[in-house]
Order: sequence, then C-alpha cells, then structure tokens
Amino acid sequence: MTCTLGEVKNRADFIVYWGGNPAECHPRHFTKYALMPKSQFLPRGRKDRTMVLVDIRETKSVKASDVFLQVRPGKDFELITVLRAMIKDQPISEAQIAETGLSVEQLQDFVARMKAARFGVFFFGMGLSMTRGKHMNSAALLTLAAEMNAFTKFVAMPMRGHGNVTGADVIMRWQTGYPFGISFNRGYPRYNPGEFSTVDVLVRGDTDCAFIIGADPGATMPKPAIEHLKRVPTIVLDPHVTHTSKMARVHITTAPAGISAPGTAYRMDEIPLPLRPALESPYPSDEEVVRRIKETILKKPDWMGERPQMLTTQV
Amino acid sequence: MNKIKLTLREKPVVVLEAEVISPDLFVEQSNEEIRASVVYHGKRQKRIDDFFDVEGERSDCIEIHGDLNRVRHVGRAMTRGEVTIHGDVGMHLGALMKGGTIEVHGNAGDWVGGEMKKGKIHIHGDAGQQVGAAYRGSILGMQGGTIVVDGNAGIEVGMRMRRGIIVIGGTARDFVGLQMKGGTILLCGGAEIRTGAWMQRGTIISLKELALMPTFAESGAYNPTFLNVYSQHLQALGVQLPYAEADGRYRRYSGDRGVPGKGEILIWEPAV
Repeated sequence: MTCTLGEVKNRADFIVYWGGNPAECHPRHFTKYALMPKSQFLPRGRKDRTMVLVDIRETKSVKASDVFLQVRPGKDFELITVLRAMIKDQPISEAQIAETGLSVEQLQDFVARMKAARFGVFFFGMGLSMTRGKHMNSAALLTLAAEMNAFTKFVAMPMRGHGNVTGADVIMRWQTGYPFGISFNRGYPRYNPGEFSTVDVLVRGDTDCAFIIGADPGATMPKPAIEHLKRVPTIVLDPHVTHTSKMARVHITTAPAGISAPGTAYRMDEIPLPLRPALESPYPSDEEVVRRIKETILKKPDWMGERPQMLTTQV
Repeated sequence: MNKIKLTLREKPVVVLEAEVISPDLFVEQSNEEIRASVVYHGKRQKRIDDFFDVEGERSDCIEIHGDLNRVRHVGRAMTRGEVTIHGDVGMHLGALMKGGTIEVHGNAGDWVGGEMKKGKIHIHGDAGQQVGAAYRGSILGMQGGTIVVDGNAGIEVGMRMRRGIIVIGGTARDFVGLQMKGGTILLCGGAEIRTGAWMQRGTIISLKELALMPTFAESGAYNPTFLNVYSQHLQALGVQLPYAEADGRYRRYSGDRGVPGKGEILIWEPAV
C-alpha cells in the first residue's frame, strides 16, 4: 500500500518517519514533499501537518518533529505489534508496553493521532529494515499501514538509499514478476530471498563467478561474502575505483549514468525520471558494455539443451 | 532389503538441484535410468552419475553418503519410502513431501520439510532457517507430518504452519512459529526472541524460559490433559515431554494480541 510523493505533498497530514534521519540523509524530503509544501488540501503547509519521528536516538530530525518517540533499540517489531493490538482495542498491560521504552500515554496519543489523520504516511529507513528482524520489521510496518486503512487512509513507503536502487527493483519486477533474489538457472525466474539473494549466495560461496554493475558490495557486505568475491572471477562495471573493483579480476570503467550516459532513474516512489547526459565521456555506458557481452554470449552454443524443466511443483 | 546407494564423489562447485533423488522415481527405475536422471548443476543439465556412484535399482529405500550441503531438493514431494543421508544436506530437504521418512545423520539446510503434508523427517544434527515453513507468498506452511531436529535451528521455524509437529532439541533462533495457524512446536532448548510472533492458533511448548513478545498475556498455570497423549506419541520418536503434576506444570500465555490471535505458548516450570 503505497503512493507517490505527489500525493504526500498534496494530501498527507500525518507523517511518520521510522528508523531514519531525513534531516541529514534525505535533506530535501521535508521541504519538497513531506512537511513544508502547501496545497489545496493543506493550505497552511507545515501547520496543517503532524510529524512523528520514531528512532532509537535523538538525531537532527527531532527538531523538525512534533512528537518524538524514542524506542528501545531492537524493539521496533515489538512496538509495531503492540500498536497493531492497540488500534484494535486489545488490552495490553503497562509493564508490557514499558518494554518498548515508551509509556502508555505516548502510545495512546500516537494511536489517537493516527486514527484522527485524514491521510497518514509511514516513511521507514534502514534503522527499521536493517536491524534485527530485518524483513519482518518492514513487514510489520507495512501490515500496520494496511490495518490502519480500516480507520483512515494510510500508506507506507521505504526511504531508499543513494543510487538507483528503486530502479533496479522496478525493472526486475516488471521483467520477472519479482523485485530481487531471483534465480534463472532452470530457464524461468524463481524467487526465494535467503536462497537466491546476493549476500546469502556469496556468504555460502554458491557461485563460481560474479558480475557486479554499479554497486560496491566490497564496502558493505559481510566478510565471508567479500572473501568469496576475491576467490571467484569478479567482473565490475563502475565509473570509479571502488573497494569491489580493487579486488575484481576485471574492472570495466563505464560512463557515469545520468551525467555522461542517458537513462532512466526511479525516484523513491517509483516515478521514472528520464536523464539526459550533460557531459561527454570517453567511456562506454553500462548498457553498451552489457549488450556487447550478451552478443558475445549468444554466439556460444545454447546451454539450456532441452527446454527448461520445471520443478514438479512451483516454488 | 533391496537398497539404492548413492555416494557423492566430489562436492559440486555450485548448487546441485537434485529433486530427482526421490523414492517415487527410483522405485520404478533401473540402475541405468537412475544414473541418467537429470540434475541441474547451476544452469547446466548433468546426469546423476556425473556426481554420484549409484548402486542398486528399483527400490524406494535410498541411502546417500557424502557432504551434500550444496545438493538441494532431495526427496522433494516424495510420497513413500525411506531416504537416509550420512552427511550434511542442502536446502529444501523433503519439501512438499506427502509420505515416507527421511533421516539425516548430519546437518540440514534451510526449508527442511517446507510446506510438507505428511511423513517424517529426523535431522540428527542442526537444521537451517524456515524449518517446516511456508514459501514466500504462500499462505500455509507445513500442513501435517513430523519434523524432529536434534540440534539447533535457525529463524522462522514453523512459519505459517497449519498442522503437524516440529521438535527442536537444541535452541531455535528468532520468530519461532511466526504467523502460525495451527500445529505444535516443541522447543526443548528454548528459543531466542519473538517466539510466537503474530500467531493465530497453534501451540508452542518450551521446556526452557522464553523471552516473550509484549503482546502475549499470561493466562494461568496447569497441566494440560492433551500433553499426556502428546508425550506418548513423542516418546515413540525418542522425545521426552514432561507432563506429570509431580514433576511441575506449564505456564500458559495466549496471543498474539497484535493479530489478534488465539495461539498458546506453554512454558515448563519444573517443581522445586
């Protein structure tokens, strides 16, 4: 259940940032979309909106918020589940709520504000999705947003990181039906995060080659994954020298997308934005390199042999 | 008894998808047909005898030797027979199975008995994540049968399970019985956090203290009668479940109120 930032800008009168620090990480988010803009439905701009910040520590975003809820680290999932119970008027004891680091009054006030809103948004960041519980923390917030629709309009949207990460998800989704964690080894896409997601595959050492386009796993992934990248032939396409390209067998320098290479970037609300190159580059674009690699591969004999054999029951 | 014996010659470099290692297929195949069965080594189609030495034919009793931790889908959707593995085994062991037994003298990967309907799996070592769980996007996990893990297990044991029994002899990690809809999970060595999160129905029994979610409410202590029956049933599988009043009692917690659900968590409290 999501929407575009245009809808947030024009309609959202209740904004929750959960596990993120937009003041420093998405500095234009407040002024362009979430807090400041005035619209037909919110004529007084910031004064018509309520902003709640949920985080484990006080960040610079606290100053911009109306309510700050400091949750105990690692208790986001518990807090969201308590909120799910509270919006349905289920009895929860004070001692149980105290476990999350917040008081009953704070949560009752939060629930009352959520229910009174005309259009609520949850923006969630890495503080939620990358801490213990991972995908289930995000799932919890998405479920809460879905359940809030019994009372009022509510949506949830992840605060995406730098680079065109949304674009990768969107393209994979319309091409294959799944956003990430896909295997093509049987000739058709199969989705299973945990089994086919990059980091898990690399940590287990289940590949004998790696092809990395415009990403730097060498700087972000756990040590066993990096060790495996060093072991197998790794090919990197990147405009810059990165941690990954330093350990790669092959590094092909490409033109920086959006600056010297044209393309489409996706905004965090999945709106495609065409980019025109501003500068010339002596290097080929990522697309051209991948296309030429593909042309060469097509000259090889078909590896599939007989037609793809499905697993007896689809996974 | 006639037996088919597979011995892994060397560990595959990448994942080997071998859903053909199933009693249902092998029972009707000659040695030559078994050798020619197609397995997927990464994207490439290979024959079983590229990786395994095969002895025997036409039997639903399979014995496998070797370190199979890159071999996946063994015993997938099997309905009969016996599979015994001496060594580790990879993901999706006995997924969607409808009958028969699997025994592993070693560790198993993720999704042991994923969405299984009937049958028995016994892992003598540790199991990975999502034991007896639902696949992504699926509503129901395990719908019957028994999984016994003597060692530890990973996260999301019994995720969305509907019926059946899972026994974890060691410690399970987070999210045991996540979104559980029925069935029983027995935790002999306790679990980490968020046990029973979002459960709707079903029973989680723990013989050790648990850190519970704040959405579970204590609802008394007693010795449920049905545990006598369970205890006898589990004894046949080599699992001891205490139930006598003289030995102690169970504290009962109900939840998860976030859903809101009617699941129960029973925590054993030995008599002092």
